[in-house]
Amino acid sequence: MEILVYGIINSVTLALMALGFTLVYGISGLPNFAHGALYIVTGFIAWSFIHTLKLNFLLAMFLSLFVTGLIGAAIYRLFLIRVRGMATSEIIASYAIGLAILEGLRWGGFKGMTYTLPVFIEGSLQILGVQVDLQRIMVVVVGVVVMGLLWLFTHYNRIGLALRAMAQDERAALMLGIDSDRMAVAAMFLGSFLAGLAAVVLLPLGNIVVEAGYNVLIMAIAVCIVGGLGSWIGAILAAFLIGFVQILTVVYIESHFQIVVALLAIIVTLILKPSGLFGRQKELEERV
Amino acid sequence: MFEAKGLMVFYENMLALNNVSLKCQEAQIVGVFGTNSAGKSTLMYTLSGIMQDIKKKEAMAGGERITLMGEVFYQGEDIMSLKPSQRARKGIILCPERRRIFPESTVLENLKIGGYLADSVQIKATLDYVFTIFPALVPLKNREGGFLSGGEQQMLAIGRALMAQPRILLLDEPLMGLSPLVQALLARSIKGIRDERGVSLIITEQYARPVLPIVDYAYILENGAAVMEGTRQELMDNPDVRAAYFGI
Repeated sequence: MEILVYGIINSVTLALMALGFTLVYGISGLPNFAHGALYIVTGFIAWSFIHTLKLNFLLAMFLSLFVTGLIGAAIYRLFLIRVRGMATSEIIASYAIGLAILEGLRWGGFKGMTYTLPVFIEGSLQILGVQVDLQRIMVVVVGVVVMGLLWLFTHYNRIGLALRAMAQDERAALMLGIDSDRMAVAAMFLGSFLAGLAAVVLLPLGNIVVEAGYNVLIMAIAVCIVGGLGSWIGAILAAFLIGFVQILTVVYIESHFQIVVALLAIIVTLILKPSGLFGRQKELEERV
Repeated sequence: MFEAKGLMVFYENMLALNNVSLKCQEAQIVGVFGTNSAGKSTLMYTLSGIMQDIKKKEAMAGGERITLMGEVFYQGEDIMSLKPSQRARKGIILCPERRRIFPESTVLENLKIGGYLADSVQIKATLDYVFTIFPALVPLKNREGGFLSGGEQQMLAIGRALMAQPRILLLDEPLMGLSPLVQALLARSIKGIRDERGVSLIITEQYARPVLPIVDYAYILENGAAVMEGTRQELMDNPDVRAAYFGI
């Protein structure tokens, strides 16, 4: 029972971490390696809003999400737009930006165990005989709600539909007056917003530490590669696969095997099925 | 109203369009006929601005060097430097070769994506119009674009382009690979679009016969150059043109 309950929680956690990354990649083919940095930055922004500006807790959370979204959009507008279409340069540039943000935070004094965000709700609950604190239930609720909202957004909203069009056939979208740079900015905003959202619901479970930024990036990449780059359904399934395997290793082996599972998942996927569970192999199709 | 002057396009040193000039008046249907690799798609990409985008991407990725020369005027304004999205806003919409339907979106979603630039009133009115001229699409509303037949996809592609509220609709080989029956049906619909909505159309085809009855004026493209132009009757009276493009 513990495995089931914590497996689900862990899986939704992973899905939340990866959603922003897979969204940006799916829409604009941009591997945003600054994803982990944006995650951590949101934590510190929210912390500053609460502790320095003494803002109301919920307001601080929402504001920090918007600020992170804007940072993401700015990263695209100022830097990534110049290396668009060159996958290697995109990775190097976005990773460098992420590195600069994370190490800048560390240099600026944001390190150690002193930074925490308050939980949304205190207390715990018995589910199927397992003690679960309410914040973890919140994570699952937020995760499910976000996935639902994203689905609605991409199926009924004008911008959402345009984003999906861009993901499927950029040139055809261009012909209908959809601007690719504007859509990429929107995708980066949304992706960063989602990274931030993952941060504000997950960070209260522990301390805000700079190193977590790298872990989040690795988890996001693992989920996306196993699920197939750019596929949202694949990412969610992969999150459940990796999530449950991680919990199993925690229960039966040891807790610090979690990251090993993620890395092994990347390697195994790349050897057995490089396109992932639901990879579209777009470029290959185009060449044929 | 819509005019291209001296268009030249080079892919590296290969000349794809050689000094092509063409005109399209308000509510006119202009045909551009030519064989494979005559430069039809290059012309359409240049008119719609997609070529600017391809050029930019190639330059960034260190690929082919593309050189563009010439002018495109729309209502007296030179639009050659505008991006495809800016040209689309002015009402210049390309319906591409091989249709390029969004395969994972449903028919209705494809149409709604086409209406990206339109307001909600226009979207509703145009949706009704598209389903009136292409009733075959009505029962397929919720089917994914990738599962449609060629003819249905072409109807959807034209409908999607209509949703963008075009003033000039560029149709790149709309009848390619379709049965004669569907070709005739589409040709009628295309004429209807001109008659009922006052849209100007530029249509390219390899084989002119199915669209011949609806064009007002036509150009013959050979190796990137417009070697001949004239009204439908003038071209039909020319024995070489008849043999090569009309198969009559």
